[in-house]
Amino acid sequence: MKFDGTCIICNEKITVNEIGLWAKGLGVKHEKCAESNELKCMICNNSAGCSECEFHDDCDRSIVSQLCICKNCESNNEPFELYQKSVINKFALLNINSK
Amino acid sequence: MMWSEKYRPQKMIDLIGNEEARKLLVEWFQKWKKGTKPLLLVGPPGIGKTTLANISARDFGYDMISLNASDVRNKKNIQEILEPVLGNQTVLGQPMIFIDEVDGIHGRSDYGGVEALINILKEATIPIILAANYDKSDKMKKIKKTVKLIELRPLPPRLLRLHLNMILKKEGTKITPGNLIKLILNANGDIRSMINSAQALVTGFEPPTEKSFESLDIEEGINAFYKAQSIDEARVILYSMHIDPREKINAFYSSIISSNISNSELDNSLQIISEADILFGRIMKTQDWRLLRYLDAILLNLYKKNSTIRYSQYNLSWPVLNRIRWDGAKIKSISNTLSKKFHISTSTFATYYFPFILFCKKNNSLDLQFDEINDEIIQKEIDLLV
Repeated sequence: MKFDGTCIICNEKITVNEIGLWAKGLGVKHEKCAESNELKCMICNNSAGCSECEFHDDCDRSIVSQLCICKNCESNNEPFELYQKSVINKFALLNINSK
Repeated sequence: MMWSEKYRPQKMIDLIGNEEARKLLVEWFQKWKKGTKPLLLVGPPGIGKTTLANISARDFGYDMISLNASDVRNKKNIQEILEPVLGNQTVLGQPMIFIDEVDGIHGRSDYGGVEALINILKEATIPIILAANYDKSDKMKKIKKTVKLIELRPLPPRLLRLHLNMILKKEGTKITPGNLIKLILNANGDIRSMINSAQALVTGFEPPTEKSFESLDIEEGINAFYKAQSIDEARVILYSMHIDPREKINAFYSSIISSNISNSELDNSLQIISEADILFGRIMKTQDWRLLRYLDAILLNLYKKNSTIRYSQYNLSWPVLNRIRWDGAKIKSISNTLSKKFHISTSTFATYYFPFILFCKKNNSLDLQFDEINDEIIQKEIDLLV
C-alpha cells in the first residue's frame, strides 16, 4: 500500500507497505479478507457455514454486515439472547446503558 | 400497535448487525470535542440509522435536534435553523444535530444549501450526525470531505431471521418457514419493512401475491386497505404503499366517489380526503416535507371494517365515462364539421353553439341533415335537454 487505508471487510486499518487489494469506487481490503468469502458466527466465532446456508444464493457476502450466526448456534433455545451476550463480550463498548 | 415501534431498539445493545460500525460511532461520541469532524452514516433504508442516532444521543446525554433534507434546502433555512443552535448552546442544554436524508439535497433545488451546510460541518461546535442512503453523488462527495464516514451494511438474511424469530416468540406466534424466508428475502436487508410485512401476515392478511406490501401496486393496496380485518392491518398496508402522495390521495378519492356507499359515509370520507388534500397542499406550498408523516395518519381515518369501497381509477361512474368516451367522440366529429361552416373553433362551437343548435333542431326551426349515427347522437343530446 502506498497510503494508509481502511479495509472494507473488517474495518481495520491497512498500513503503508502492507498488501491490500484496491478497486476504484469500491475501496481496499486486506489480502486475507479478500480471500475469505465466509461470514463469521458472532456466537461461536467459527465460520457461519455460508456454503450450506439456505440463503446462500440470496446473501451478497461482500456487502452485508460481516458477523452472522451459524446454524448450530441459531438452533439453540435462546439464540437472540446468546447473540446479545456475545456482542457484549466482543464489543463491550456497545453495552453503554449497563455501565 | 405496530411491531416496528413496539420492538424499536431502546439500547445500543438491542440493535442487530453492524457491530463494527456501531463501535466506531460510540468511539466517536466518547472522543468528541469541539472541532471533531461530524459523522456521516451511510446505509440502505430501514437499517436503523435514525434509531442509532437517537439511541446514542440519549446514551451520551445529548438533546437531539432532528432535521431532514427539506429543512436544509437553502442557505437561509440553514442559517435560520442551525446557527441559533450552534451559538446558544448553554440555553439549549447539550444539543446535538441529526440531519437525515442528506443525499436528498440534489439538483438545482438546494439554493446554496450544500455549501452552507459544508461551512457549518467544517467548524462544528456541537456533535453533528448526518445520514444518507447513498453517498456516490457529486454533492455527497463534497460533504464526505468534511465528515467521518461510517458505513452501515445490509444485514445477512440469517440475522434478519434471528431478529424476526425473537419478535414472533415474544408475540407468541409463528410463521411458516416458507413465508418466513419469503419475508426475509423480500425485505432486502430492510428490517422495518420485514417487521411490518410479518405483522401484516400474522394479523391475518396474506399478501395477494408472493410480493410483500412494499411492491403492492395502488389497486392492490387500496383494495387490501378496505378489506383489512382491523385498523392495525389497514395501517400496515397504508404505510407500506410507497407511492406519490398526490397519487395516493387521488386513488382514494376516485375509489370513494365511484363506490356505492351511503351519503353519510361519502360525506365522512370526503371530509377526510379534503383534510389530506389541505395537508399536501401545505407541504407543496411550504416545501416542509416533514409534514408528510401525518398524511397516512389522516388517510387511516378512511378505514371502516367491511367497507364496500373498492379501487377505481376513474372518478366518474361507468355510464358517465362510457358516454364521455363514445358519445364524446361522435359529438367531437359533429363539432369539427359544423365549426367549419360557422367559421369558429371546434371548442367554441361545442361550448356555445352546440346547445343552441340542439334547441333549434328540437323546435324544428333548423333543418340540418345528419347521417344515421350522428342523428342518433343528436337525438340523445336533445333528450337530455329536457
